[in-house]
Amino acid sequence: MKFLGWKQVILALAGFALIILALIAAKAVPAEALSQVIEKAITKPSGWRNILKESTPLILLGCSVFLALKVGLFNIGADGQFVIGACAAVVVALNVPGPVAIPLSIIAGILGGALWALPVGLIKAYRGGHEVITTIMLNNIAGFFTFYLVSGPLKDPTSQQPSTASIAPSAELPNLFQQDTFRINSSLIFAIICVLALWWYLKRTVGGYEISATGQNVNVARFAGINVNKVIVRTMSASGGIAGLAGALQVLAFEHRFYGNFSPGYGFDALGVALLAGGNPLGILASGTLFGTIAESTSVLSRTGVPKGLSYILLGVLVIVFAAYRYRKEAQRGTDS
Amino acid sequence: MEPILNLLAAPGNNFVVTLLLSTLAFSSPLILGALAGLFSERSGIINIGLEGKMLAAACATAFIGQASGSPIVGLLAGILTATIFSIIHWILTQVYQIDHIISGMGINAIALGGTSLIAKTYLNISEKEMPTFPVAIYYIAAWVAAASIWYLLKSTRSGLRLFAVGNDPDKSRQMGLKPLVIRFQALLATGLLTGLAGALIATNAGKFSEDMTSGRGYIALAALILGGWKPWPTLIAAVAFGFFGSLQLILQGQNSNIPGQFWQALPYLITLIAMAGMVGKNRAPAGLGQP
Amino acid sequence: MRGITKKFGNVIALDNVDLTVQPGHIHAIVGENGAGKTTLMKVLYGAHSANRGEYELSGTSYKFKNPEAAIAAGVGMVSQHYAIIPELTCLQNLMLGAEPGQIINHLSATQRANQLAAQMGFSFNWHQTAAELSPGQAQKLEILKLLWRNASILILDEPTAMLAPEDAELLYAKLHELTDAGATVIVVTHRLPDVMDHCDEVTVLRGGKLIDSCPVSQTNPSDLAEKMIGLSMTEHTPSQATPGKSLLQVNDVTIKGEKGQDAVKNASFELKAGELVGIAGVDGNGQRELFHALMGLKSVSGQISLEDQSFTALSTQQRIQAGIRLIAEDRHEEAVIESWTIAENAILGLQRMPNIRAKQPELAKAVTEQFPTKFDHVNQPFRDLSGGNQQKIVVARALQQDPKVILAFQPTRGIDLYVADLVYQGLIRATREGATVLVVSFDLDELMTYCDRILVMNHGVLSEVPPEFRTDRQAIGRMMVGAAE
Repeated sequence: MKFLGWKQVILALAGFALIILALIAAKAVPAEALSQVIEKAITKPSGWRNILKESTPLILLGCSVFLALKVGLFNIGADGQFVIGACAAVVVALNVPGPVAIPLSIIAGILGGALWALPVGLIKAYRGGHEVITTIMLNNIAGFFTFYLVSGPLKDPTSQQPSTASIAPSAELPNLFQQDTFRINSSLIFAIICVLALWWYLKRTVGGYEISATGQNVNVARFAGINVNKVIVRTMSASGGIAGLAGALQVLAFEHRFYGNFSPGYGFDALGVALLAGGNPLGILASGTLFGTIAESTSVLSRTGVPKGLSYILLGVLVIVFAAYRYRKEAQRGTDS
Repeated sequence: MEPILNLLAAPGNNFVVTLLLSTLAFSSPLILGALAGLFSERSGIINIGLEGKMLAAACATAFIGQASGSPIVGLLAGILTATIFSIIHWILTQVYQIDHIISGMGINAIALGGTSLIAKTYLNISEKEMPTFPVAIYYIAAWVAAASIWYLLKSTRSGLRLFAVGNDPDKSRQMGLKPLVIRFQALLATGLLTGLAGALIATNAGKFSEDMTSGRGYIALAALILGGWKPWPTLIAAVAFGFFGSLQLILQGQNSNIPGQFWQALPYLITLIAMAGMVGKNRAPAGLGQP
Repeated sequence: MRGITKKFGNVIALDNVDLTVQPGHIHAIVGENGAGKTTLMKVLYGAHSANRGEYELSGTSYKFKNPEAAIAAGVGMVSQHYAIIPELTCLQNLMLGAEPGQIINHLSATQRANQLAAQMGFSFNWHQTAAELSPGQAQKLEILKLLWRNASILILDEPTAMLAPEDAELLYAKLHELTDAGATVIVVTHRLPDVMDHCDEVTVLRGGKLIDSCPVSQTNPSDLAEKMIGLSMTEHTPSQATPGKSLLQVNDVTIKGEKGQDAVKNASFELKAGELVGIAGVDGNGQRELFHALMGLKSVSGQISLEDQSFTALSTQQRIQAGIRLIAEDRHEEAVIESWTIAENAILGLQRMPNIRAKQPELAKAVTEQFPTKFDHVNQPFRDLSGGNQQKIVVARALQQDPKVILAFQPTRGIDLYVADLVYQGLIRATREGATVLVVSFDLDELMTYCDRILVMNHGVLSEVPPEFRTDRQAIGRMMVGAAE
C-alpha cells in the first residue's frame, strides 16, 4: 500500500476517537473492553467458532453486495433478499422429505432472493429509479411480509413466538467435523466457493468484463455494444440470488427454522464487507471475517453492558475511513489534457 | 366502506377531520425531511443520510430535553446534532471526495449505532418527562419552509446560485461561483430542517426509542424524487405519503381480514410503486454527485 | 503583459511571453494547439496565476487572483467551452455571478438584457431554458455576459470554431462595432483567413514562446503559418483512390433527434471499399445522430445495409462483430474507461469476438504500436497517458481485427497537426486494405486535405459535393449553410 496522505490519517484518528468516545459514553473502559474481546472472542475456541459462524452469512452477503457494486449498484436490500430466501428455503425444507430437501431448499432460497431483487434492477434500468430507495422499501416489505407469514400461515402451533417449526435433522447441513473444537458448519465451504466463483467470473469471463465496464461507465459500455439494461437487471437479480442463498444456508446450517426478525441487520454489515474487500473479490474473505469478529466482539461486550449499537458505529467508521483512502487517488487526479 | 362508516358512526369522531389531522401529523416530518434533502441535492450533494440525521436529532432532542427540562434546549440540541452530521457529510463528500452514497450510509450507521447506544445506556434519563413545543409549530414550520424555498429559488441571488451549482458545478466555477461554499450553506439548511423533523418525531412520541424513524428518512427522499426536486411538488408528494401512512393507522384496527403487517407495509409499498411508475426523463439536478 | 512565465508541474506552458495590445483594436493571437494561447489569456483573465511576469492595463499594474477580480477591472473572456448551463434560462445564465442584488427583480433585469442585446443586434427569449440554444447563439449570449458585466477588454477564445463562414463574418462585424465604441478585443484563433480579414495586429506563439508580434498589414498567411508551425508540412493531394465494392448503403434514412425533431432527413449515400469520405458541416446539423444511428445506438426509419445485407435490426454488438468500428467523439464518455489499463481498454467493444481473451496481449501491443505512442507498459492505467497518446490508441483500436467500415467523429480533436497527419495516414492505410472510412470533422480544411469525397450535412439534409467543387472552399462553405446555387 502506498503512503497514506495526512488527510486520511486525520480521518482515521477521528474515527478511532469516535469509537473510544462511544465506549466511554456507554460507560465502559476502553482498555478493559479490548481485553475482554481478546480473551473471550479471539483466543477461546468457542470464540472463533462463533466468528466463523457469523462470518459465513457475512461473506456470502458480501459477495452479493460486491457483485452489485461491480455493476454500479448499491444493493442495500441484502436484508430483504436474505429473509425472503430463508423463508422460501424453510417452506421447501418443511415440505420435502429426506436429504433431497437440502439442494431443493437452496435452490428455493436463491430463486426467492433473485426474485426479490428483480424489481430493483428493472426499476433502475428502465425507469432510472434509484436502487437505494427501492431496496430499502423492499427490505421493509419483506420484513412485514415474512413476519405475517410466521405469525399466521407458517406458524408452528407449538411455539409461543412467531416462528416456523424446526426442519427435520435430515434437512440440516452437517458440520465439517464432529470433533468439539472444530465444530464448524459445512456452509462455510459454500461461502468460500462463492468467493472463488465470483473472482473467476469477474476476471475471466465476458460476462464479468461487461459487468465491470457497465459499472465503470454506462455510456462507454453502450458504445462498446454492451446491452446495459440487460446487464443491470441480470446482475441485480444474481446479487439477490446470492443473498437468498445466504438466507437458505442460514436456515439449513444454523437456525433450522425461520422466525420473525430473522435478520439482525445484516444489510449494513454486508455493505461494509463488500466495500472493505477492495477491488478484488478475494478480499471478501478477509473483510467478512473481520466483520464476523466485530459481531462476535460486540456480542461479548454486550454481556458486560456495552450495547450492540457499538458495532454500527464501528461499521460506519470503517467504511468511511476505508472509502476515504480508496478514493484518494481519484480525488488527486488532475484535469485531463 | 364499512370501516369508514363505523368510524363516522362512532360518536364524536369526525372521520374527515381525523384523517386531515393525522395526515398533517404524518406528513410534517416527511415534508421537513424532504425539503432538507432538496437543499442538499439542489446543491449537488446526494443525501441518503436524511434517516440518520433525523434519528440523531430525535435522540438529542429527547435526551437533552429530558435532562435539561427545557424544550428550547432540547430543540436546539436536536438541530445542532443534525447539523453536525450534515457538515460531516459535507466534509466527507467535498474534502475527501468520498462517494456520496457511501458517506450517507456510513453516517446512517453511525447515527443508528450511536443513538441505540445512548438509548440503552441512559435509561434513567429516558424515564423523565420530555418537555416539548406544541406540534402545531412544527407543522407551520414545514409549510413556511416550503414557501420560503420556493421564493428563494425563484427570485433570489442565493437561490439562483444554488440552482446553478447543482446543475453544473464546473460551469458555475467558470462564472465565478464557489460551489464548496454554496454547498456548505445548503447543508447547514439541511441540518436545520432534519433537526426540526427529528425533533418533531420525538415530540410526537414523547420519548426516544431505537430506530424510531423506521425508514421515514428514505420515504422523505422518495417524496423529493417524486416531487422532481421542486418545493411544492415535493410537499404534495410528502403529504400524499403522509396520507397513506395515516390511512394505514386508521384502517388497521377496522378490518380483521387484512393482517396488520399489510397496513404497516403499505407506505413502503406505495413508495415502491411510485418509483416504478415514474416514466419520463430524470429530473434530478444535472450536476448531482459531481465534484 | 511582460515576461509572463507559467509552469504546470514540469511543463512550461509559457516562457517569458510579452504582449502589447492597443485600445480600440482587434488583436489576434495565433498558434497551434498547445502553443499556449489559451494559457496566456487565462493568465490575463485571472484563471491562472503566472509564475513570473507582470501585466498592466492602461498604465496600472494588476495581478488578478481570480476571474472575479479580472471582471471587476473590466477584463472578460469567452472561452472555447461555453459556460452556458442548459437547465437555466437565458436570463439566468446571463446574470449568474453578477446578479443585480440579493432579491432579483425580473422585470428590470429583462429590460437591461434586452437593451444590451439590441445594442449587438441579438435577440433572445430570456425566459426560455438555454438548452435550446445553438452554438452560435450560445456564443452570442457569452458575449452579452461580458457586456452585462461592463467589460472593456473582451477576450474571445476560438470564436469561429463552431460557426459557419457567414456567421463568422457577422461576428467580426459586431466586434468591429464594439471596438469603434471604445472596447478592446483580443481574439485567440488558428484561422488565418479571419486574422487577415478582420484583425489589426497579430501575435504568434509557438511552444509557449513568443515568436513575433506585428500589425496585420505587415504580414501574410504563409508567413504566419510558417511562424506558427515551424517545421514544414508535406503537401497532400487526395490519393487517386480506386473505390472497390460497395460496403455501406444508406437509403432514405430519417433519424429523430433528442427533442423529437428530425435530426437527419431522408439521407442516402453509399460508401465503397478503398475510399475515405468526409462529412463537412457545422456542429449540430445531424452528424452525431447519423453516427449514433449507424452504430445502433439510435433507431432509424429507412434502410441501412452492410455489403447488401440489411442490418437495421442488428444490435450495436452485432454491428461491431460485422465489422463496423467507431472512433467516438468524446473519448472520456464514449470510448474508454480511464481507470482501466491500456490492455483492458484494447478489447473494449471487441469483447465478444471469438477468442478475444487469448488475443488480448497481442491487441494491447498492436494498439500501442500502430502509431508512435508514449507509454510505460500495457498494464498502465489509461488515464496516465497524455491526451494525444490516448487519442492515438483510440484510433488504433478501430483499425484492429479487420474493420470494414470505420466511422471517425472528429478523430483529430485535441491533437496537434503532426499526429493528426499520422492518424489520417493510418485511416488511409486501412482503406487500402479494403475498408471504407467515414469522417466527420468540423475543420473543413482537414477534410479537404485528406478525403476522396466530401459530403455535406446541413440541417439534417445530406448532399454530396460535386467533383468540380471538390477543391473549392467557398463552394463547400456555401453548401454547409444551405446557400448553394
